[in-house]
Amino acid sequence: MFRTYWSWLVIAGVGLLVVFAGRIPTIVGVTLLGIYAFKEFARASGLYRDWWLTGAVYAGIVTVGIASVMSHPRGEEPGTGWYGFFAAAPVFAIALILLIPILRNRARGELQRMSLAIVGFIYIGWMFGHLGFLANAVNAYGFLCYIIFATALSDVSAFTFGKIFGRHPLRSEISPNKTWEGALGALAISMILPWLLRFSFPFFGARQLILTGLIVGIGGQLGDLSISVIKRDIGTKDMAATIPGHGGILDRIDSLIYAAPLFMHMAGYYYPLR
Amino acid sequence: MRKWRYDSPNDVERTPLERLRQFPREPDMLVYGLRSLGALIIRALLRVYHRFEIIGHENLRTNRSFVIVANHCSHLDTLCLLAALPLRKLHRAFPAAASDYFFQSVSRLWIAAVVVNALPFARQVRVRQSLSLCQDMLGNPGTILIIFPEGTRSTTGEIREFKSGIGALVAGRDVAVVPCFIDGSFRAWPKGRRLPRPGKVRLIVGSPRTFRDRGADKIDICAISAELREAVNELRHENGRH
Repeated sequence: MFRTYWSWLVIAGVGLLVVFAGRIPTIVGVTLLGIYAFKEFARASGLYRDWWLTGAVYAGIVTVGIASVMSHPRGEEPGTGWYGFFAAAPVFAIALILLIPILRNRARGELQRMSLAIVGFIYIGWMFGHLGFLANAVNAYGFLCYIIFATALSDVSAFTFGKIFGRHPLRSEISPNKTWEGALGALAISMILPWLLRFSFPFFGARQLILTGLIVGIGGQLGDLSISVIKRDIGTKDMAATIPGHGGILDRIDSLIYAAPLFMHMAGYYYPLR
Repeated sequence: MRKWRYDSPNDVERTPLERLRQFPREPDMLVYGLRSLGALIIRALLRVYHRFEIIGHENLRTNRSFVIVANHCSHLDTLCLLAALPLRKLHRAFPAAASDYFFQSVSRLWIAAVVVNALPFARQVRVRQSLSLCQDMLGNPGTILIIFPEGTRSTTGEIREFKSGIGALVAGRDVAVVPCFIDGSFRAWPKGRRLPRPGKVRLIVGSPRTFRDRGADKIDICAISAELREAVNELRHENGRH
């Protein structure tokens, strides 16, 4: 319990330091975190034994990071971050992944490995990469701090409400410890939080605040459950044991993977990010 | 639809430190990369700082599993023997290292596991278990074991008695043993000194031999150990500047 608490403090400290160091450190940090989280996924799923495909996904994750840092070479879109390339990154990454078995002249078991590589890239590299791209927004500090803090708080409140009031299992086949009470409690907290921390995005109206609450409250927990589906099928309890008391990096960022891209596209729909 | 089989390693839920400590280690891209990079740096340093030279290099050219046996008076010995192997075989080469010395503090553990790829050898208790671990590793094709049968670094530069474990490991088995003599490492980096000083270091590689037709009883085992010590000693007198 204490280890979990200390790890939270360390994560919060390092996270704040990286986010406030600026745009590029944030994108680099998110990319490194994505690479490590994918490594955990690849190890747990056995994809890691194929260094070619693992390397292809690493290259894809780095490409997402580069697309977030650089601006459009012909300057058609103003501002930093090459959104078009960022959004198209899966095309190139999947093309590379499909190319690898052809180059190596192999077919046996390749569908499984390619599928794992594509899921790993889309899910961890690209979806989580949105958190790095969010650093390009004018209101980057507000967005980043809010989404990171809110998903963490949603996790903690789901755990707490579940511990105190938990009766009815949420998804018994996926994660036996999660309860409806915990999920609804987390949703309630997540719906209130945008109003309490309204200074993070002063230009948001009521509709955007409600959407933010829903994305964090529901999306965060869906992210949690989706990683549980993967773990359940593989048959491990945690993806790794990197962070004392938390499990792997992937177990920690699971809610962000789901919530960050939805949040970014919601905010980008109503307001230009730059 | 046939069920997918996830080929996950057995160390998924271990902490990074426990993963360093476990043996055999799971292959890891980052560790392999760091080890190869470290090997290149060590080779360059040996070449420049110690004017490192290898005599009888052709005796190491085989794709089968084999055991390297050498005299031991310095940490340089392991580095010299590793520098004599091709880079791609580095990750299948395991210098047996004292688990009570190399596998305790985190910094030494990191060097032993990542840079040197050491096999933890319990030299005080459970020696038999360590020997059977060595035997298991030799069962995999292309494994190279590096063993210093003196059991510790010599404090005088002389070759001490070889322990009988090396005899037990190779007696009656079809495993090649390559005796090696490392010349100059005692002057360059003796036990107790913090850092090496410049000085020529030479590695003399003897011809491989097997002890396939020898029994595994105590007398034979001790005889094999003595023979190997004699072989290393001969290399010293043929080529050494003693």
